[in-house]
Amino acid sequence: MSREINSISLEDALLSLDELATSCNVNREWVIEHVQCGVLLEDAGSDPALWVFGSHSLIRARRILALEKDFDSNPELAGLVADLVEEIEYLRKSTYPKKQT
Amino acid sequence: MEFKDYYKTLGVSRDASAEEIKKAFRRLARKYHPDVSKVADAEQKMQEVNEANTVLSDPEKRAAYDQLGQSYQAGKEFRPPPDWDAGFEFSGRGFSGAQAGDYSDFFAELFGRMGERTPHSHHRTRGEDHHAKIMLDLEDTYRGASRSLTLRTPHVDDKGQIKLAEHKINVRIPKGVHEGQVIRLAGQGGPGMPGASAGDLFLEVHFNPHARYRVEKKDVYATLPVSPWEATLGATVKFPVPDGLVEVRIPEGSQTDRKLRLKGRGIPAASPGDLYLVLEVVLPPATTPKAKEIYQMMARELAFNPREKMGV
Repeated sequence: MSREINSISLEDALLSLDELATSCNVNREWVIEHVQCGVLLEDAGSDPALWVFGSHSLIRARRILALEKDFDSNPELAGLVADLVEEIEYLRKSTYPKKQT
Repeated sequence: MEFKDYYKTLGVSRDASAEEIKKAFRRLARKYHPDVSKVADAEQKMQEVNEANTVLSDPEKRAAYDQLGQSYQAGKEFRPPPDWDAGFEFSGRGFSGAQAGDYSDFFAELFGRMGERTPHSHHRTRGEDHHAKIMLDLEDTYRGASRSLTLRTPHVDDKGQIKLAEHKINVRIPKGVHEGQVIRLAGQGGPGMPGASAGDLFLEVHFNPHARYRVEKKDVYATLPVSPWEATLGATVKFPVPDGLVEVRIPEGSQTDRKLRLKGRGIPAASPGDLYLVLEVVLPPATTPKAKEIYQMMARELAFNPREKMGV
């Protein structure tokens, strides 16, 4: 029987700029550019050293990265598609289940 | 191991130009995009398309693959001859293992030479982080849970070839996780260089669809069926919730879609969500003479017009 490994919620150990960049396999400039153009980390302050990233930011960064890579998209278009995907996810969740069974 | 025909996967001819390959990949990436595709096995298809594109969009990998592929057909049993890739240098763009779970054994066998070929590999120290999704039942987050996961992680054999090996781990899922949250398993990602730590594994939490509940962030919603007299006159009813059974007071004069909020009975996070019971008034069937008589009496006595606000 293998031992049990503990996991920790990302909200209990938020990622720094460099940790997010490492985790997504991008350089820190990619993250800074995407925060500054408004597609990552809304309401971020101007000092990147103070930025912290949670679950939503990590998932969103990876989604935007994949869109840019697969379709040569610019950050704004990838951000728009990510917005729409998130909206679809929300609508799908909010309409299920339709009836009690 | 079966030989994979990457050209067939992308639906292009063997003499397709780089531009044709790029267009074919984009068309399929859109079709199978796992976030929006309605194709049943979209995620699997997307992985196959990604893998084919990784090889065919790289001139060096494509040339090596073409040379090898002359004597193979898709599905045919495949074993690469020794030094099949002699003369090709993958310029460090080989198989890094970063997304080990996303590539097939076939791909790993062909391009898993990064250990001896990557010119910058001595710069890499810590292992790379891996990302995956994990499906939980809603009840798991109320109790905390254990899950057994099978991971495919790369390791370098004594010939410098990267192989994919499966191993199982048991993960303790913390109580109170919610949809879209990421949990982190330290040291369960890609292996580091000798003397360096492994990367981490990040698991994106999703809940299996539930027949009774739906979840919005930390709040949980359920439909609570009530009879017309319970809704109209008020009542206290029992209802099963994810962590047990509750007695709920239905306020007098309730209608369908009225929401009853049970504060703090949603996802038990540090700041817990709420549980919302949405009333649904269910009419008793009029299948007996007695039941029909009661409905007829209501029609006579109540003079109720549900379309009154429409002016009809």
